[in-house]
Amino acid sequence: MEIRLHNVSFSYDAGMTIKAFSGSFSSGSFYSVIGPNGSGKTTLIDLISGFLKPLSGNIEINSLPVFSFSKKNLARLIAVVSQDHTVNFPFSVKDIILMGRHPYISRFSLPSAEDIQKVEKLMDICGISHLQDRKINELSGGERQRCVFARALCQETPILLLDEAFSNMDIHHTLQMLQLVKQSVKEKNRIVISVFHDLNLASTWSDSLLVLKEGELRAFGSSTETLTEEIIKDVFQVDSIVEYNQHVHAKQVYYPMH
Amino acid sequence: MILFSLFLFLMIFLSLSMGYIRIPITDIFQILITKTASSLYSFKDINETHLAVIMDVRLPRILSCACVGAALALSGVLFQGILLNPLADPYTLGVSAGAAFGACIAIILNLSNAFVSVPVFSFIGACLTLFSVIFLSYSPKNPTAGLSSNNLILSGVIVAAILSAGISFLKFIANEQVSVIIFWLMGSFASKTWSNVFIIMIFLMAGFFVSIFFARDLNLISLGAKSASSLGVDLKKVIFILLLSGSLLAAVCVSISGIIGFVGLLVPHMVRFITGPDNRKLIPLSMLSGAILLLFADTITRAVLPHEIPIGVLTALTGGPVFCWIFKKNRFK
Repeated sequence: MEIRLHNVSFSYDAGMTIKAFSGSFSSGSFYSVIGPNGSGKTTLIDLISGFLKPLSGNIEINSLPVFSFSKKNLARLIAVVSQDHTVNFPFSVKDIILMGRHPYISRFSLPSAEDIQKVEKLMDICGISHLQDRKINELSGGERQRCVFARALCQETPILLLDEAFSNMDIHHTLQMLQLVKQSVKEKNRIVISVFHDLNLASTWSDSLLVLKEGELRAFGSSTETLTEEIIKDVFQVDSIVEYNQHVHAKQVYYPMH
Repeated sequence: MILFSLFLFLMIFLSLSMGYIRIPITDIFQILITKTASSLYSFKDINETHLAVIMDVRLPRILSCACVGAALALSGVLFQGILLNPLADPYTLGVSAGAAFGACIAIILNLSNAFVSVPVFSFIGACLTLFSVIFLSYSPKNPTAGLSSNNLILSGVIVAAILSAGISFLKFIANEQVSVIIFWLMGSFASKTWSNVFIIMIFLMAGFFVSIFFARDLNLISLGAKSASSLGVDLKKVIFILLLSGSLLAAVCVSISGIIGFVGLLVPHMVRFITGPDNRKLIPLSMLSGAILLLFADTITRAVLPHEIPIGVLTALTGGPVFCWIFKKNRFK
């Protein structure tokens, strides 16, 4: 499985949000996208997931254009945890997670025993079994995010796109979910592309980092190569100290006080 | 659901027997059996007046009323689901204002002698309004952002505002026809014919099949555009089709019976408390409840009250306070 972007550009109005982006993602790797607000991280995720159409350039999955897939087939390939996790009607948690099986259930049939079993297993793994009959809109932001996470995992796709999927979770659940994702990258040979604000989590957990600034790719590679004081200064305009940390076996960023 | 269907049948029979001329239920059975299955069995001693009253007056009125109730409720479910707004109703997109405007023009031009023209004009008015609202909220440059609920609601409000000013102007220049306009706007099921029943029935059936077909997609739409899209919903297609079905249903309703408020807003709300938000249950049950509710209201204006009140007025006068009560009770318990 490979995702390849070639010379992809996109803009909402006047300014370019993504400028001539090229890069490829392959199976069994955890990619992290970092960059300041408005640097095009979410747009990149939306382009890969086929939600937005690029102005120019092409996006291919296994050498086939994203738009050549039917919506349903694409939903069997790519699962997305988007930033917006509000649900407008009071569905129960279990119903929400069952929606992750939508691409596999034909139009007029009911979910099979296998579907239900998968839903229950995932609720168990994500630690939300005790919430299953609660209404989704009565939960806290972090709990809701875990439900959306479970729903995306339930889609059982080879590609998983996470757009700040951990932003409302406490550290316990963040680590638990990251562990889960990392494990599935290794065991199921998945491609995970995750947008992060926390540079240290990104560095610790991912195999490769993409650094975006104003829609342009500034650096793409392992965290040892990409995470440097110069790049952080250039992209985020902050002073930092970057050191290898032996406890997490990766580079970590510290922000000294003046 | 079976319970609701039974209730609807009971309601139809009760409503058939009630009225200026009271007809016993046994007579109704005899008439219906004779009419529908005369080859199997036919009763000899049927009262001719009763037969005419049932077959030519009450049954078409009752059936068109039940169908309009069901269609309005279904349209309400669709609009609330697409616009992600529990306050949306069939008239949110200005369909009613468009229909009313069309009807006013027909009345003023005195086309009402041609007998079909008022419904036809109002249907055309409703459709033109719908297309201008969709045109306003759709941008080919950014198709995913277009047709968003905010765009649609805003365009609907603007178009409806222009049209209601237009209606006021038409009333102003209408002279003696102004009472005809006002009466039409308030809605009524008086003197409905079998052709009305067939038209609304066809639209209702088509609308029902389309919405049941897309019911699960409609569930997913409530997760927001991005999530729904990533779960395999073809948003543009589904939203467009459902929007069109909901609006056409509303347009047919308005052209047949005038503007009847609150059914489309209230019924899906109440039913959601029983079934939950799953559209696969919500759609059929809302349709049955809408039919029951509107038939109940129409029977009251027709048979119980000494003077026939326009049904639109009755539903708003009773539906409004009921809605207030439900809202207060469920929001702040």
